Amino acid sequence: MDDLLAVRNLDFYYGDNHALRDVTLPIRKNSITSLIGPSGCGKTTLLRCFNRMHDLYPNNRYGGEIVMDGRNILRDDEDLISLRNILGMVFQKPTPFPMSVFDNVAYGLRLKSVRNSSVLKEKVERALRQAAVWEEVKDRLNQNAAGLSGGQQQRLVIARTLAVEPRVILFDESTSALDPISTQKIEDLMVELKKDVTIVAVTHNMQQAARISDFTALMYVGALVEYDETATIFTKPRHKMTEEYVTGRFG
Amino acid sequence: MSGLGRRKIVNIVAMSLASACAAAGLFLLLVILYDVLVEGAGSLRLRLFTQDPAPPNIPGAGGLRGAFLGQGLLTLAASVVGVPVGVLGGTFLAEYGRHYKICRLISALSDMAVSIPSIVIGTFVYAVLVKPMGGFNGWAGAAALAVIILPVVLRTTEEMMTMVPWSLREAAFALGAPYCKVITSVVWRSAMSGIFTGVLLAVARVAGETAPLLFTSFNSNFFQLGLNRATPSLTVSIYQYAASPYETWVETAWAAAFVVTFLVLLLNVAGRIFIKIKKVG
Repeated sequence: MDDLLAVRNLDFYYGDNHALRDVTLPIRKNSITSLIGPSGCGKTTLLRCFNRMHDLYPNNRYGGEIVMDGRNILRDDEDLISLRNILGMVFQKPTPFPMSVFDNVAYGLRLKSVRNSSVLKEKVERALRQAAVWEEVKDRLNQNAAGLSGGQQQRLVIARTLAVEPRVILFDESTSALDPISTQKIEDLMVELKKDVTIVAVTHNMQQAARISDFTALMYVGALVEYDETATIFTKPRHKMTEEYVTGRFG
Repeated sequence: MSGLGRRKIVNIVAMSLASACAAAGLFLLLVILYDVLVEGAGSLRLRLFTQDPAPPNIPGAGGLRGAFLGQGLLTLAASVVGVPVGVLGGTFLAEYGRHYKICRLISALSDMAVSIPSIVIGTFVYAVLVKPMGGFNGWAGAAALAVIILPVVLRTTEEMMTMVPWSLREAAFALGAPYCKVITSVVWRSAMSGIFTGVLLAVARVAGETAPLLFTSFNSNFFQLGLNRATPSLTVSIYQYAASPYETWVETAWAAAFVVTFLVLLLNVAGRIFIKIKKVG
């Protein structure tokens, strides 16, 4: 498998707070990479570097590089709007916009100036099918998205992200606010989506990382402890800390 | 056990106090509405809307058609200026300017401006717009009302937009939306009903203001379409008629009070219905 993204010697600062220290790891194409580690270890900070979410707030600073297609996406002159079209993000809590189901999914397409209504319809349906939520919402496309259940909202958000055809989707603990059945559906969906996109997922749920991901990275106080194939991390890790963390003896 | 009993008693006391206060407030409101309804509806005649003011003590003559039009024009002109400036200013404070100290200062000053007595605003506008322009005029009245609308709309907009969770903005940013799009298509939409309520309350408030108009648009017995001269308004007419010793004028004042009260009420109810429809859709 090829590397789609290469994180090289990445440092990140929230003002004076050195939140990521010299992180280096590859993100393999069409795979799921899980970022695990105790709270505050920097896994979400790392995830938010990929789509430059940190740029929304003042005094944040990057060091090192994240290379995609031979280009460092942390450059100052990177076009964040097109970058975020390529790297979509799904958050912890579902974030449906205050508009209809259809308009939610069409949001990103309309930003890209897709105006033709038959093209919009087709792409919205395809995204909703891809996110395994079409059957549940096809009769309520014009109703407010706030009326859907939490699990449906999260799949709607995934559909909204898929609609703009990103190459990478970043999941930030996207099942931690959901019940077990909705979680199961999203996990199945993530595995299914691997065919089309590359997935990086932050999770607190060790079993989830073991179940769905191909690669796992353990982080601790801003540094990468160990990165390997998930099976290796969970069965014969090289570091003592990894073994203790995945067996639940620390963290 | 005794702890539970105490908590139950505290609960009952708090609930009774809150209910009593609500009842007191509601009672006063209903008395005012009842008074205005009985006295005003009894004096209401069609000529109120069709005739110009008549001298006192001529039964069956005289209306306030100029004041109706003037009130409408004053409120409209004030809203056309005050509402957009307030909404856009509040948007700046809540979004682009949220990290600047100067914006916190502007917020605090707006809070103070909300509670400035309206007569002070009237005298201020008198000094800057009436005296230099050589006389009372409707534009000065509209300006005074706009000055009252502005801080209310500004602060409500800022508050309502600040209440929209950041995660929602981030979700829009994550889809590649530029900031202006995030604001117009996500934040405004989320905060719309709150902003709209604020706008409505501000407009309703100035529609019932008298003091700032006394020094600015003043009053006039002549029917006119513009705001270039002294402009009649319902509130100032009510103030002058109600204070007069003439029975026909007092009756007219009641009728006008009735119309103003229920127009404002109607404006509120219509706004609320509009919000409900928008929310469902």
